Amino acid sequence: MLAINNLHAEVEEKQILKGINLDIKPGEVHAIMGPNGSGKSTLGHVLSGREGYEVTQGSVQFGQKDLLEMSIEERAREGLFLAFQYPVEIPGVSNMEFLKASVDAVRAHNELPDLDAVSFMKKARSVCKAVDLDQSFLKRGVNEGFSGGEKKRNEIMQMMLLEPRLAILDETDSGLDIDALQVVAEGVNSLRSPDRSFIVITHYQRLLDYIEPDFVHVLAGGKIVKSGDKSLALELEAKGYAWLAEEVV
Amino acid sequence: MSDLILQAAQAEKTTPLPWLADFQQLQNNTWLRQAVPTRKTEAWRYTPLNRLEKGNFFGAPAQVHECSECLQEQISLPDANGDELDCYRLVFVNGFYAESLSALGELQTGVSLCRFGDANEAQQSAIKTHLGTIANDSVNLFTTLNNSQLQEGVLLSLDDGVVLDKPLRILWLGSAQAVPFSVTQRLLVLMGANSQAMVLEQHLSDDAEQNSFTNGVTELSLGEGAQLHHYRLHQEHESVLHIGGVFADLGKNSLLNSFHLAFGSVLTRIDIVVNHRGQGAHSELSGIYLPRNNQYVDYHTCIEHRVPNCTSNEVFRGIIGDSARAVFNGRIHIHRDAQKTSAKLSNKNLLTSNRAEIDSKPELEIYADDVLCAHGATISQIEDEALHYLRTRGISDQEARVLLSFGFINTLIEKIPHTEIAEYLRPKLAVLFARDPELLRHIV
Amino acid sequence: MSQEHIDKLIESDYAAGFVTEVESETLPPGLNEDVVRFISGKKNEPQWMLDWRLKAYRAWREMTEPEWAHVDYPPIVFDEISYYSAPKSMADRPQSLDEVDPELIATYNKLGIPLHEQAALAGVAVDVVFDSVSVVTTFKSKLLESGVIFCSMSEAIKDYPELVQKYLGSVVPQKDNFYAALNSAVFSDGSFVYIPKGVRCPMELSTYFRINESNTGQFERTLIIAEEGSHVSYLEGCTAPMRDENQLHAAVVELVVLDNAQIKYSTVQNWYPGNAEGKGGIYNFVTKRGIVHKNARLSWTQVETGSAVTWKYPSCILKGDNSVGEFYSVALTNNYQQADTGTKMIHIGKNTRSTIISKGISAGKSSNVYRGLVRMNPGAEGARNFTQCDSLLIGDKCAAHTFPYIESKHPTAVVEHEATTSKVSDDQLYLCQQRGIDAEKAVSMIVNGFCKEVFKELPMEFAVEAGKLLEVSLEGSVG
Repeated sequence: MLAINNLHAEVEEKQILKGINLDIKPGEVHAIMGPNGSGKSTLGHVLSGREGYEVTQGSVQFGQKDLLEMSIEERAREGLFLAFQYPVEIPGVSNMEFLKASVDAVRAHNELPDLDAVSFMKKARSVCKAVDLDQSFLKRGVNEGFSGGEKKRNEIMQMMLLEPRLAILDETDSGLDIDALQVVAEGVNSLRSPDRSFIVITHYQRLLDYIEPDFVHVLAGGKIVKSGDKSLALELEAKGYAWLAEEVV
Repeated sequence: MSDLILQAAQAEKTTPLPWLADFQQLQNNTWLRQAVPTRKTEAWRYTPLNRLEKGNFFGAPAQVHECSECLQEQISLPDANGDELDCYRLVFVNGFYAESLSALGELQTGVSLCRFGDANEAQQSAIKTHLGTIANDSVNLFTTLNNSQLQEGVLLSLDDGVVLDKPLRILWLGSAQAVPFSVTQRLLVLMGANSQAMVLEQHLSDDAEQNSFTNGVTELSLGEGAQLHHYRLHQEHESVLHIGGVFADLGKNSLLNSFHLAFGSVLTRIDIVVNHRGQGAHSELSGIYLPRNNQYVDYHTCIEHRVPNCTSNEVFRGIIGDSARAVFNGRIHIHRDAQKTSAKLSNKNLLTSNRAEIDSKPELEIYADDVLCAHGATISQIEDEALHYLRTRGISDQEARVLLSFGFINTLIEKIPHTEIAEYLRPKLAVLFARDPELLRHIV
Repeated sequence: MSQEHIDKLIESDYAAGFVTEVESETLPPGLNEDVVRFISGKKNEPQWMLDWRLKAYRAWREMTEPEWAHVDYPPIVFDEISYYSAPKSMADRPQSLDEVDPELIATYNKLGIPLHEQAALAGVAVDVVFDSVSVVTTFKSKLLESGVIFCSMSEAIKDYPELVQKYLGSVVPQKDNFYAALNSAVFSDGSFVYIPKGVRCPMELSTYFRINESNTGQFERTLIIAEEGSHVSYLEGCTAPMRDENQLHAAVVELVVLDNAQIKYSTVQNWYPGNAEGKGGIYNFVTKRGIVHKNARLSWTQVETGSAVTWKYPSCILKGDNSVGEFYSVALTNNYQQADTGTKMIHIGKNTRSTIISKGISAGKSSNVYRGLVRMNPGAEGARNFTQCDSLLIGDKCAAHTFPYIESKHPTAVVEHEATTSKVSDDQLYLCQQRGIDAEKAVSMIVNGFCKEVFKELPMEFAVEAGKLLEVSLEGSVG
């Protein structure tokens, strides 16, 4: 699904990722944990192709294709989805317009016909319901005036609508109360399937109680310093990150 | 004296209004004492009048008997069911009343609606009493010219408590003629206490090159508790010159909601003055300007808070492309003792070409201390963050730009309370953002 | 204001003081070419300087006084002003602090200014002057070690003619505006600063150190040149009220900030604002401007509490790519004061940045105007401006206005302007009073909080004094 090989990247001429290696097979859920500033979010942005995030070394294979060769929207159409840590507010562009434009673009890429307005509405309403968002949100500007939790649920709603092959959740749990966390987790779990993979970036173990990962990686100083199964997350929760830093040295 | 002043003063009237002659003579005398504004005149510092001065626009237009198909098509405005909007409609072509295109029908009791040329004695008296008293701002010399030159106009007068049952729609149409000419347009709305109305003014022309100068002035008087929804849409061909204004007096607890749109033309200059004269009055003023090519739009707005306890909110947004130029001047004036006023103004602009220009001047002039006033002005581009977000959802860069540009003005379209007008405007505005319909399919 | 009042304004004590002096030291009121020649001759200026002044004078004669500012004062009769007065001799000055106006001394005490500085500021002609001369001497030699030139404009014309000729009028040309032209014709003196390439000026430069030249009068001319990669912080004005006898003050300040250099220019202006009834006070019509070259930075910080009428727009021409301009201003008006002040940020180079933070406080029957221009020229790719203008009104007889001009000709330039007005709320006052703080102190605390963003830009010791200055200036504004 995704093969990251010796990935180095910099932001504003500062080296953030210093050699990431990661192999994600279809159907797997990988959690990436690590202290603040370790490069977790940078990894998400580099994979989605954000401008200003310069890959200086290494390669990323997405399916049969070279991910780094693709533009932002090509990656999205190929089935890479990033749930933003801080979703952007876009007043004046309604959620509905935005979602239809997005779904149409992805479908066209996969040589599928446009969804007609009725089936699209039906689908949009059902995913709204799944993440407990009122249908009125479809008419509002994208994320405009949404609360923190609503924005995160709007991200998961988009993911459910677009049905990506690989979803990257960038600290989707931050700022969520326990109820919203469960809604988000249910949304993710409902999409879990043998041909869909997830990268769950998080600072806390809490989210992993609800989305059970197959692998847990610890990112520190721009490198994966430890990998393990879900028990590693519990260990981190108990001990913090400091012991790892020492172990690496 | 400049040629412009003299030529305009001597313009021939083909259908004069004898009962207004005295008033017009006085106004003409005032006009003759005016000087043409220069770059040093603060209100005109960004807007040169040379195109008007050089154009010899003061020939009289010939009476139009046949209306082109193109013009007739412009008249259509569907309602929510796709049928023609049920409204009172007055249509003027080059200033002349076009009866065959108009639809007045039966009027409710307490409603007086006529064109000036048809005014009965009572209506003439109402016009003579109020005309020019709301637009009495001496700064605007073109109002004086309008006063002195008008030959036609529309009066809407509502008795106390009357709720106008249908929208009033006034179409000012333009069509080129053999020689350059000028047109004077006038609307006078007098609203009694607690009356309500919706008035839609549209300035349109056929698709051809125009050779006219239009001077359109609107006066709105809102009595105590009156509520008016007003639209003024400038959709003329880009070759038109238009200098005009909207002047409103707001009585106690009255409510004015006024929406403005200008596509831009050789010269479009609109002055809007809202006078809060009675306590508890509220005004909502919003506008969109979208000049492209070599077009020019200049909105000068002035919110006068003359008495305590009034509120105002103003939002204008512009997108300026190609070699176009826009000017926005938004003044908020809080008079001495107008305490407990709340006044807000926001002006946001997008420049989309390196030959385009915007000059924005929000102004606060405040003589009372217990007030809440704020203004903001920005000039920017499409936000990278938003563009990125859309692209991560698979939307192409091009379409994302169209969505975001349209979204920039759509925030104002969304707030239009009459959905049929919002629906009418969306496609007309959307085409300005892309030629390729593929890029527009998610917004119209 | 009455004609009598105008007469009184113009017929200054200062000029009257000269009647007793040597005849040749005094010029009768009026301005003509001979006066310009006289001034230049008095200062033993070279021919080029005289020619420069005459050119300015001839231009001035063709110009008219600007009328666009939102200020109202009786017409100034330029022929009733005396354009040259030699500095007061020692004998004319007060001989001790006892002879100085007690109201002034009281103000100094409130500001916490030490006694010997008080004497210096009040122009007491005793030891202090010698003290300050010695201060100047030690200080000058320290500067010279690093190659920094800091002297009066008169000295500079004599000692560094090539620098003066190269830069004088290069930022504010003689014909720039009515008052700049007048200043160019008759300027009396001012400061000259030259920081050589790569030098970081070892101390804050302040006109205070030239106290012996503080009576240079009504037409000051300041020129600061920061060579490539150099750095200087300059503070002008006084931190205490000066009873400046001159009524019209038309200064010009020119700053040249070459590649990678930085100038920080701070002003604490507290000229005599007139009394509580609006009588007297300075007309402060000042042109201040800097040209900022590649990667250079110019920062204006001003605290303006004085003058009857102020007309002043310290500006930055952001000519070089990546250059930065900043303007931080507190302008306080009380009683009948009128201020029309702000800045101009002209973005010419690519990626130029500017920030404007303006805090206006109006009290009494005063009028306080922010007037600013932000212009993005066609080459200002990626330029940015942020402007925040806040007004605070104290009382219902004052006025606060904001007139920003925003002009952009580049699609990648971003301009953001915000303005708000507010008052000292009854709730705020009530809270303070309930905690035992009296109303006047409470207002001063609130005003200080309102100005914090600007004060933090001032050199530390002046920030404290500026705060106190506001307190003094606000006295009597809460009733």
